[in-house]
Amino acid sequence: MQSKIEGGPAFAYINIDLDPGETVIGESDAMSSMAADLDMEAKFNGGFFAGLAKAFLGGESLFVNHFTNNTSSTRRVTLVQSTPGNTRAVELNGQQLCLQPGAYIASTPGVQLGVQWAGFKSWFAREGLFKLTVTGTGTVWYGAYGGLLEKEVHGEYIVDTSHLVAYEPQMKLNIQLAGGLFSSLFGGEGFVTRVEGKGKIVVQTRSMSGLADWINPRLW
Amino acid sequence: MQINITHRPGNSAAKVSLEAGESITAEGGAMIAMSGHMQVETTTHKKDQGSILGALKRLVTGESLFLNHFTPSGGPGEVYFGTALSGDMMEYNLNGPGIMVQGGSYVASSPSVDMDIQWQGFGKALFSGESMFLIRLSGQGPVILNSFGAVYPIQVNGEYIVDTGHIVAFEETLNYEVSKAGKSWLSSILGGEGLVCKFHGQGTVWCQSHNAGSFGASLGPNLKPR
Repeated sequence: MQSKIEGGPAFAYINIDLDPGETVIGESDAMSSMAADLDMEAKFNGGFFAGLAKAFLGGESLFVNHFTNNTSSTRRVTLVQSTPGNTRAVELNGQQLCLQPGAYIASTPGVQLGVQWAGFKSWFAREGLFKLTVTGTGTVWYGAYGGLLEKEVHGEYIVDTSHLVAYEPQMKLNIQLAGGLFSSLFGGEGFVTRVEGKGKIVVQTRSMSGLADWINPRLW
Repeated sequence: MQINITHRPGNSAAKVSLEAGESITAEGGAMIAMSGHMQVETTTHKKDQGSILGALKRLVTGESLFLNHFTPSGGPGEVYFGTALSGDMMEYNLNGPGIMVQGGSYVASSPSVDMDIQWQGFGKALFSGESMFLIRLSGQGPVILNSFGAVYPIQVNGEYIVDTGHIVAFEETLNYEVSKAGKSWLSSILGGEGLVCKFHGQGTVWCQSHNAGSFGASLGPNLKPR
């Protein structure tokens, strides 16, 4: 399998060339174009109950699509997230990664998706009550609205709510006011997420809820 | 006429430089800036050929009711075109087979290009989720199209599948049918892909990397009810 992320950072999309017999799994509605003789099959996102849990708790779809190359030469499928922004490919080798609900785009068959209780703190941080986890061996592609900036955290780091896209499982999330009571209420920052521990985090430079908050007062 | 696409790919604009006597036709509302001595004429169809029927046909493609024709008076001039959504633009020089353009992707074209609206038939129209009509551009001369996100061309030789929300334009040498993406209808509907366009033959399809409908669906729930 050969894959390449094109169009980044503003309009990233993923070209995946499947060799004969290979499969890639994509989020529902992620396919923009594909060779006509690839087989596309919708399956529950990891079994019926696991699929339900991911759909209702993890912000993902109930079904995912399996794209399989049953021909005798290489075939291409192009996958994309629903929002403009950047996309990343991560190689998993047994380790786990936590994702913001909705960030998952695609993965190779050796990667398992799960949902875990993330707690009320995460909900307050506008990252969802549950977090999406990916683990196993293979490649996972995820993305977000905006650019993606990677930060090596050692100690603690503050991220605005709804901007945390991915983090390693040992990182602890806490919610707090951005500054004092006055600056938090009037400075436009409100709550922020405090990430504690040692590991990598990925932050998105824009957020859909930020865009919606900008549009909403202008609608009447 | 010289066309220069600037600010690619995020916030593309098309700068069109016209010599005295030349003109360019553009989608209503596409102009963002122009020389002070530019004359603008608004019609419902090709320059000097306005008709009520032409206007109605344009309306049903999801395009604006009116077309504007820009002509500099007494010397050269320039005009810039932009679009509502962020994304790329492409220039295409028609010289040979015509192209079929998805409703919202048309920006501007030379007056030497013929524009016609084509009914796609009930089957294709109702189920493709897109407009029931495509704009057919033919003749000779430059055309400017826009996309939501980046544009990538696919050379079809045989068959290829493109999601209906990702088509910008395609050469009319290609045939297409609206079809299921998966092995079965159930699988296509459950998998969220619904209907796709299956192209046959030989020719180029220009795809847009992003789907405006999907972006709208992910923004919509965050917006307050009106």
